Amino acid sequence: MIWSKRGTSVSIDALRAIQSLLPDAELVEFDAPIDDGYAGAYNEQPCTAVADLVEGRRMRAHRIEGEPEVRFAGFLDGIQRARIRFHQRGVPIIEGTVAAVIRVRLNRRHVTWGRRTPIVSRKLYMPLSLLSCGQCSELGGTAIVDTSFDEKTGDLVNRHPAALRAVAFARIGRDRDEAERTLAELWCEERTDAEPLLIDGGISGSERVSSSSCAIGVIKSHTKLYADGEALDVVMSLKNGERSSVFAPPAQRRNPVISWYLRLHDPRGHDAMFGLVRIEASMGGDVAPRANDISRWVLAERTPNAMPDNRWDRMSYGIRDCEQFLRSIA
Amino acid sequence: MGPDVVRDSGLRTVPEVDRLIEALGRVVATERKPNTPHEFHFWTALDSPVGIGTIVRVDGRTPVNGQIPRVYGIVTEGFSYTDLLTPMHDVMSHDGVPNSAGFASSERSEIRLYSAAVLRQLPEEPLQPVPMGDVFLALEEDVNVALRMDGYLRDGSNTGIPIGVYRAGGTDATIFLDADFLVGPEAAHLNITGVSGLATKTSAVEWLLASLFAHFPESRGSVAAVCFNVKGPDLCFLDLPGKLDDGDRELYAKMGVPARPFEKVEYFAPYVPRGYALNTLRSNEALAHNVTPLTWGLREVLQYAEVLMNRDDIDAKADALIDFITRSVIDQTFTDPVLTRSHMVQSFQDLEDWFRDVLRGLENGNKESWRTHHVATIRKVRNRLSNISVRCAGLVTDSGPVSDLPFGDFEDRATYVIDVANLEEDAQDLIFARVVSKLREHLERRDLGVKHVVVFVDELNKYAPSDGPDTYVRKMLLDIAERGRYLGLVLFSAQQFRSQVHKRVVGNSGTSVFGRMDADELAAPGYALLSPATRTKLATLEKGQLMIRHPHFTQPIFVRFPRPAVMSGRTGAEEYPQGGEVTLETAVYRSLRARDSSVTMQAVEDAIGIHAEGDVLRALTLALRERTGDALTNFRARLPRHVTQSVQPRPQVAVLRGVPGDDPYGG
Repeated sequence: MIWSKRGTSVSIDALRAIQSLLPDAELVEFDAPIDDGYAGAYNEQPCTAVADLVEGRRMRAHRIEGEPEVRFAGFLDGIQRARIRFHQRGVPIIEGTVAAVIRVRLNRRHVTWGRRTPIVSRKLYMPLSLLSCGQCSELGGTAIVDTSFDEKTGDLVNRHPAALRAVAFARIGRDRDEAERTLAELWCEERTDAEPLLIDGGISGSERVSSSSCAIGVIKSHTKLYADGEALDVVMSLKNGERSSVFAPPAQRRNPVISWYLRLHDPRGHDAMFGLVRIEASMGGDVAPRANDISRWVLAERTPNAMPDNRWDRMSYGIRDCEQFLRSIA
Repeated sequence: MGPDVVRDSGLRTVPEVDRLIEALGRVVATERKPNTPHEFHFWTALDSPVGIGTIVRVDGRTPVNGQIPRVYGIVTEGFSYTDLLTPMHDVMSHDGVPNSAGFASSERSEIRLYSAAVLRQLPEEPLQPVPMGDVFLALEEDVNVALRMDGYLRDGSNTGIPIGVYRAGGTDATIFLDADFLVGPEAAHLNITGVSGLATKTSAVEWLLASLFAHFPESRGSVAAVCFNVKGPDLCFLDLPGKLDDGDRELYAKMGVPARPFEKVEYFAPYVPRGYALNTLRSNEALAHNVTPLTWGLREVLQYAEVLMNRDDIDAKADALIDFITRSVIDQTFTDPVLTRSHMVQSFQDLEDWFRDVLRGLENGNKESWRTHHVATIRKVRNRLSNISVRCAGLVTDSGPVSDLPFGDFEDRATYVIDVANLEEDAQDLIFARVVSKLREHLERRDLGVKHVVVFVDELNKYAPSDGPDTYVRKMLLDIAERGRYLGLVLFSAQQFRSQVHKRVVGNSGTSVFGRMDADELAAPGYALLSPATRTKLATLEKGQLMIRHPHFTQPIFVRFPRPAVMSGRTGAEEYPQGGEVTLETAVYRSLRARDSSVTMQAVEDAIGIHAEGDVLRALTLALRERTGDALTNFRARLPRHVTQSVQPRPQVAVLRGVPGDDPYGG
């Protein structure tokens, strides 16, 4: 048996091609797929970073003025899934699936955005230089991604199977980012400011998206916190319905955006990160009123909550809906 | 994914015609909820017109033996749920305040999931689990195939009898019963269950009889109906038009049944126990033209004496005596040394005289038995038989004139209603037993006048209960149910509680019809085969809706039928109030005038003159039986030529002795 019992997978032809190309490769039958965030976070160490404030001179908490307002017209999220299908003497051949979708809200119900087919992509991620199969770009109709070299350093990847997997997972994560970016750019091209899109994650990866006022990024994970010292105390002490001052995360290789922290739920009785999200929006305009308005939009997405997802305190229902949708098709 | 309008199909308004063409659902199956050859599951958009009882079609994708499988099913269960894991999540989502739910930014994802029972698979072999595929609303032609009606609706051999219209989405499909399975010979009989007062049982039968008369194929012969009106005025106005609305007329037109009352209806009713009026709610003078008295004499009754006697009465000895009387005494000159005179027993009065003579002879001779019959047995049988004319007064006459249904002259598509609503139970049983027996005898001899007779009996709970004593009537109903179809004797029965009717009666009904049901009744084991949703639908059916089971249908089907085109019992009773107690002359006048409008009251009074009451009633009954000639003339002809001496002869008084001539106080 060389096909998955759950979900869809790469074609049988691709798996057969690998078997014929690498006859000594061992089939991995009982490896559970690795989902989503695991891969993205594997090589990031939790840390704090200093960001320049663009609102006021010091970080402080701001009470959100006005009632929550339902404004988001669509939600964008992606998923990724990795699964080791073969290994040749410990060198893994990984099937990676990425998918992304925009779900729009019509009559308070979420449906797939009709302008763009959800993106679903399956590829085989394998370090070709460590396998005895030579160079190839596709097998049995499935694209091959060579993971022989570290993208950042350009060095040959360490032969340790875990390091090989980590590189492959990073490539899968990058492909997922790419899929999400494609959809976000399309939205920004076609939609107006009056129809903002809530994107799960940051928006600074795309110039077009980061400069568009109809794309709002909501980041749920805080491996890197853009506050330190007293500023961090302020962020950690935000109460339900409060936001931090607006700051500009270091751009580095990314595009400039403004950002702020927002507490969605009362953290009492929970850890300090409970209900804490970071919001990214395009630069420009009067940042304080914009941050207040966008925060009202995000707060409006607290109901219905995203239970039973264990990230429900930070996740909007629209994003959960996207994930559910993608899991059903990818 | 296409344009927004396509993706958002679940939210926009889809024209009816599109609903029929577009797939409205998709078959789904999981390991926990797999599809089988007899059941499958599918989901639909939230605004889909699918409901319990909807017929759908599944088009498979993978050919089997070169043929794309097509499956027809009927929705038997529905489920709805959201992506919530527990209700608590929703409570938390809205901070425990239900009102705030309306302000939520989005509705949760929700599913409409249906289970459907397979009606038919094409190809029929190999029989496989239902494949994944698109689900469509069944069109009219799909309904015909799904219910296998295509087998008996063929041109040239159409035996379809419309029972109602199946409606779902934009589909309006007439549902036909197969006449061969409704009135025989393949299967027969129909049973209706439903709570009282919701126009289910009587209305459905009236409608079905109209449909049967309109569509029963000529090639299958003639058909008539005998209806027992067992309660109220339900069946008393079948020949009068009722109120129909446009929806009803539309249904009549669609099903090709004329929206008019029955054309040939005859009513039969006994007289009231004391009086001259007929014992029926159809006693208004304006409706008397087709009401005929139902009166039986000794011979008619004695044959069914068993009906009127309980198990204790009928032992072997009593049975032997009754048989002797029937065979050797009735309608012949009977002489015996014990008797003081010869007897010609033709009426209950004659029979009483005969018994009295026999018993007197035994007493005088100090004998304890006569012709092997013990005197106690004779007394017992005398007591029971003599009692009959009292218990069934109005139906059974002492004097013996007989007025009966026109056995031998039944007309095609005619309805004969016997009103037994106001009679005592004994009389009802007697009428039922005798009428059904006569129908059976004539059908066996093929001389009834029609080839098939539908007998309608309501309140089957009472006449064929599942428990209680084994009565003659129940035995007869069982006999009809089990053997009637070979003779053309078809039972249309109705009751409120099917579970309390003898299993063999309802079990032999090829077709079963269910109106709105009582929840208690639905809890009976017999309904366990129905899904909970179907049972719920049955408990909440609207007026005019029925669930049908028929041999060709593998699953029950819900249909809508029109109001019967006849006047309802309640309206009839209001518009045609019951006639009051009348004099002998008035009763005769009304009866004769119904046959001949030229008859006058004066002429009737003159004819009756000083004739005795018994003679007048006898003559009237005989005259009404004459279906030709002048009614008044017939009546006169049946009156005795010599008026019975009704004035007692002056008693002979002893002559007084003469008064002495010299009596000073005389003169």
